[in-house]
Amino acid sequence: MKKRFWSIVSVLLLASLLLTACGTPEAAAPAPAEADAPAQTAGEGPVTIRFFHKWPEPEQLDYYNFVIAEFEKTHPNIKVEMEAVADEPYKDKIRILMASGEVPDIYFSWAGEFSWKFARAGQALDLTDALMNSDWKDNIVLAAVEPYKVDGKVYGIPMRINAKFMVYNKAIFAQYNLSEPTTWEEFLAVCETLKTNGVTPIAFGNEFPWASAHYVGDMNAKLVEGDTLRADYLLTADSAALFTDAGYVEALNRFRTLNEKGYFNEGPNGISHSSARSSFIAGNTAMVYIELEEFITVANDMGTDAFGFFQFPSGTGGNGDQKLLTGAPDGFMIYNKSQHPAEAVEFLKFLTSPEMGKEYVKRLGIPSAVVGAVTAETAIPAVVAGVESINSATGMALWMDTDMNAKIVEVYLPGMQAVLNGDKPAAELMQEVHDIAAQVQTELK
Amino acid sequence: MINMNKLIRSATPYLFLLPAIAVMSIFVYLPILENFYYSLFRWSAIDPEMHFLGLGNYIRMFSDKYIWLSLKNNVLYAVISVFFQVAVALILAYLLESKLIRPAWGTFFRNALFMPAVLAVTVVGLTWYLIYRPDTGLINQFLRLINLDSLTRTWLGEADTAIYSVIAVSQWQWVGYCMVLFIVAIQGIPDELFESARMDGATVWQQFILVAVPMVRETILVLTSITVIGAFKVFDIVYVMTGGGPNHASDVLGNYLYRVGFRNDEMGYSAAIATLLFVITFALTFIQLRIGRSGSED
Repeated sequence: MKKRFWSIVSVLLLASLLLTACGTPEAAAPAPAEADAPAQTAGEGPVTIRFFHKWPEPEQLDYYNFVIAEFEKTHPNIKVEMEAVADEPYKDKIRILMASGEVPDIYFSWAGEFSWKFARAGQALDLTDALMNSDWKDNIVLAAVEPYKVDGKVYGIPMRINAKFMVYNKAIFAQYNLSEPTTWEEFLAVCETLKTNGVTPIAFGNEFPWASAHYVGDMNAKLVEGDTLRADYLLTADSAALFTDAGYVEALNRFRTLNEKGYFNEGPNGISHSSARSSFIAGNTAMVYIELEEFITVANDMGTDAFGFFQFPSGTGGNGDQKLLTGAPDGFMIYNKSQHPAEAVEFLKFLTSPEMGKEYVKRLGIPSAVVGAVTAETAIPAVVAGVESINSATGMALWMDTDMNAKIVEVYLPGMQAVLNGDKPAAELMQEVHDIAAQVQTELK
Repeated sequence: MINMNKLIRSATPYLFLLPAIAVMSIFVYLPILENFYYSLFRWSAIDPEMHFLGLGNYIRMFSDKYIWLSLKNNVLYAVISVFFQVAVALILAYLLESKLIRPAWGTFFRNALFMPAVLAVTVVGLTWYLIYRPDTGLINQFLRLINLDSLTRTWLGEADTAIYSVIAVSQWQWVGYCMVLFIVAIQGIPDELFESARMDGATVWQQFILVAVPMVRETILVLTSITVIGAFKVFDIVYVMTGGGPNHASDVLGNYLYRVGFRNDEMGYSAAIATLLFVITFALTFIQLRIGRSGSED
């Protein structure tokens, strides 16, 4: 009898173990907070908010640690837990976190479509009221808020602004009597002169094809008429017309020309962007197409006066706006089901306060989206001039890889590598882009 | 009561198996079923709303050229890996165990060839990424040094060479590992067999083909199936070195399903590809088990 008793007990124990283990995944799923749940008030013990971004570089982390330390000093009831991964892995990691339900309270997002899909899926908190009906709005460059809006509602807070410029080595340009080109033809002529003199004209690393998207995106914006481009990117165009403008093919052909004529360094598809930039800094190449945020890296290694920059004249003769600049703000969103939305807003407000904005520019040399943060005192002259160019541009062409549906990006961007190599004609790629765009359009309906 | 006791006694072994079965069910079998269930929908990581598609994702696979491209790369991976990690590794093992090399250099070569196997894949991938670099990489520099400029390539950036360059690194890493397993097997062959072969006048080559190979047959079978299954499951080295580029040229199934799921926001389709991968590896495992059993019967 005793033996039987223990057998039964062990069966029951194991069965219960099995059942609870099976049940765990359900139980672990986070209980969605009520949208209007009251934020925990001070006195109930410290509240922890999770903060996730894409700048794991030591200088960047130093800055954020500083901000968090300052914030926690003045907000003793809030603890900020930070995590950061690099740019490329961030695109995967944020999706994994969304799928697992372990979404951080505050997360980084590129502007444009990348952020809108979070808003559409109900993963981002509507910040319109918090921003527009308080003095917070006076602290932020409002033009940079635009790409974070969906249906007029604000879902993201920009914390820095960025744009792409063609940067050149002043010494090399002087040696061959070259001046800053203002048209596509002049640009090609500059490249040709450099090449015949044995200088590699442009450093280009396209291991990850977002780098080619910066070229092609810039060209698209200038070669395709603005409304047509928006309708294609946002998939509002007529299904048969999607991505059929001749400007798109022309953009890819111009991009390919640069490689065909040997104006890029050897094998761009096998080189990373940062090593291409290093070859420019080392003086091995005459130009490199980089972001304003990278100016400080170049300045630190080459000297502030060793380089100049100009707007890439990639679209001469095209139907688009030639005064557009490619670039976008970078910013943060708040998880819609965050347990502590008020605290998260409080932290973002602190992060974009005038003091923290100035501190950002001073420490990192990167332009902030905080009003008045970039001044002659806080930034190097090239960055100040870059920000002036952004302000005088008629508008921004957002990074195309974060400005259109991810499925189209997956066809378009890797395809650019093939076009660059000469493995695929430009027209064939645009046909494929048209096909996938039409397919995505029907799926979204 | 007696019947009851009997019942309990016959159930006892299953009771002891129960924890293992429970753990396996929760962490292996249940996810496989769940994966299949999820593959019937269109859904993304960001937007949890699910649209039922039935077998739509599976039908789509047939017309997805990247699936076929990935499969082709996996097969290439398997064929090349079997050649190097089974055939070449066995020959190397036999050479290192031969009277010529073993006494003086056996240990040195064994360690030297085994070394890459203890390195982390990311370290190996990044190191070779630098070796393959078009401008400053060792390979192209060497080719230029001996005036073979025409052979220089952007090894990881050209559609024709990318997948082979990645496969080559895998071989470099694992040949030594397989070789050591073969050495163990060869050391297990009784010396008398080789002695009598020699007395019968067998050449070194004949000793290898007629004595060594049949005697390490089990190891050959096991390594072949492990290598083939590994070639279909490969992900890390491709992810580190090329990310599947340029333009999908070096995509393998594992890598492609990851991109589909976490970049294209198509979790359902990704799950369908995972099911395909599961069917392939399951079939291969099944074949391995069958061959393995026929081996132990005789």
